[in-house]
Amino acid sequence: MIPDYYEFCNSAKIVSGSHAIEHIGYELAALGASRPLVLTNKQLLELKVATVVLDALKDTEAEVVAIYDDVPVDSSVAVVNDVARVYREKGADAIVAVGGGSVLDTAKGATIVLTHGAEDLMDYRGAESLMGRRAIAFIAIPTTAGTGSEVTSAAVIKDTERHVKMGFTSLSLLPDVAILDPRMTRGLPLRLTASTAMDALTHAVESFSCVQANPLSDCYARAAIDLIREHLPKVMAEPRDEQARLALANAAMLAGAAFSNAMVGIVHAMGHATGGVAGVPHGDAMAILLPHGMAFNLEVAGDRYGELLLGLAGAEVYASTPREERPAAAIEAVRAMMRTLHEQAGLPLTLGEAGVLPEQVPDIARAALNDGAMSMNPRQPTLDELTELLKGAL
Amino acid sequence: MARRGWRTKRAKKALTAVVYGVLGRGLVASARLDDRVRDEVRSWPDGTVVTLRIAPFGPQVSWRAASGSLEYLGGAEVASDLLVTFKSVDDAIPLLLGMKPVLGSFAEHRATVRGDLAVAMSLVRCLHIVEGYLFPDIMTRRILPHPAKRRASHLTAYVFLIFRTASLEGAAS
Repeated sequence: MIPDYYEFCNSAKIVSGSHAIEHIGYELAALGASRPLVLTNKQLLELKVATVVLDALKDTEAEVVAIYDDVPVDSSVAVVNDVARVYREKGADAIVAVGGGSVLDTAKGATIVLTHGAEDLMDYRGAESLMGRRAIAFIAIPTTAGTGSEVTSAAVIKDTERHVKMGFTSLSLLPDVAILDPRMTRGLPLRLTASTAMDALTHAVESFSCVQANPLSDCYARAAIDLIREHLPKVMAEPRDEQARLALANAAMLAGAAFSNAMVGIVHAMGHATGGVAGVPHGDAMAILLPHGMAFNLEVAGDRYGELLLGLAGAEVYASTPREERPAAAIEAVRAMMRTLHEQAGLPLTLGEAGVLPEQVPDIARAALNDGAMSMNPRQPTLDELTELLKGAL
Repeated sequence: MARRGWRTKRAKKALTAVVYGVLGRGLVASARLDDRVRDEVRSWPDGTVVTLRIAPFGPQVSWRAASGSLEYLGGAEVASDLLVTFKSVDDAIPLLLGMKPVLGSFAEHRATVRGDLAVAMSLVRCLHIVEGYLFPDIMTRRILPHPAKRRASHLTAYVFLIFRTASLEGAAS
């Protein structure tokens, strides 16, 4: 299948492997930068995860001009502006972001403020509306294997005063370099490993079945699913298996590149809304809602899901499953993966288990209908259909 | 050839300006005729100005929302809270003439959005409803995510569009 028209961009340089972080000095120099601001959070410093990056930077020509470790769980406008202020005050010329989605999104927000001289980030909300090249060197080092934010052109930042989450998508948000090093994720608790891996799997599945799927994003999505199927069980059995950890980090990156170009759909729309209304962690929401979203899309995206059975269940299952049964088998493969992760790490199987109350469903459905991700879903739901779908996941 | 290409472009922009006029008044009429559009517009912050534009110099069409109703602002330059910009006139025409789904245009990166994406999603749903009034079923079957549901017939909608909106505009001025 080839779309009438598509665009694809993944300009971030990928530096992946054991001790990849030791190349940070070279990468900064290659970008013409020597005064990085390191953006992270206190927990990652306490756990000595961010310290690996800081140690690597000590052995370079670069001078770390500031370490900003006040990034909260939800990236906010106030923090973004504060990062930009410190960046200017210290005369930095690069941002090295070490963390999960929140840290990386904060870094992306700061690049908007610093590049465009933004006084109010609200003025820059939107899709593909930021023009011009980014003025700041930007290196992203993810510490979870899920969001894929190190290669995506999207960021979500909360305006805590106005109580709104602002979405930004622009190619200028893509980091220059993404460094994947197994030391960043080997200490990740199993519960979080499972949850973030399901987030990555959802990126891959949705990008493969959304309306802007294209030959390039398909390659990334398939590769991501293969890596997750093969290496997630290894990590769950042996959390300090660095090769498997690196494979999962690559899976998240590949899925990120896929969805950054082909977009995501109903599962993410419902997941964003569930997070906003009921505070369900994003990865948990993705895990719970993925099979439900696939079932909803089955009538229009069944063939695509059928193709994914190969990655989700392996060659033998794919070959032994009749063609017409493959779409449903793909959904069942996701459910089976979830049941395993529920037993191994306590991942919730229903929205109810994740703390969602029945009376919150209408608000979640309304918010999901307004979520930008919904526009890329291959089947557009009505409010009633969404409500029923969410009730089915309770 | 280059001169002919430029003339074709100019003709397409002229056509777009005409369609913008119909769509502009059509959306205002729909907000009066159809409670679904009214409810969508009511969810926008009061005073929100929404604009559809062809990059880089137009034409464009804008509306201002107020308590569930819409004011047609025509093609004048205005400060927009939500700005949808088609990258070229060739990207806008298939959508405006009902040959391509609205969401398909966004999916294919043919338009950019500056502003609140939730309002943009709401605007898309409004455009779907308006398309249901403006185009026959044979067209809407191909471009709408659900079969068009109308609160009134095509004829009523067109009468409403031509007369009711015109009289309201006259009263306003």
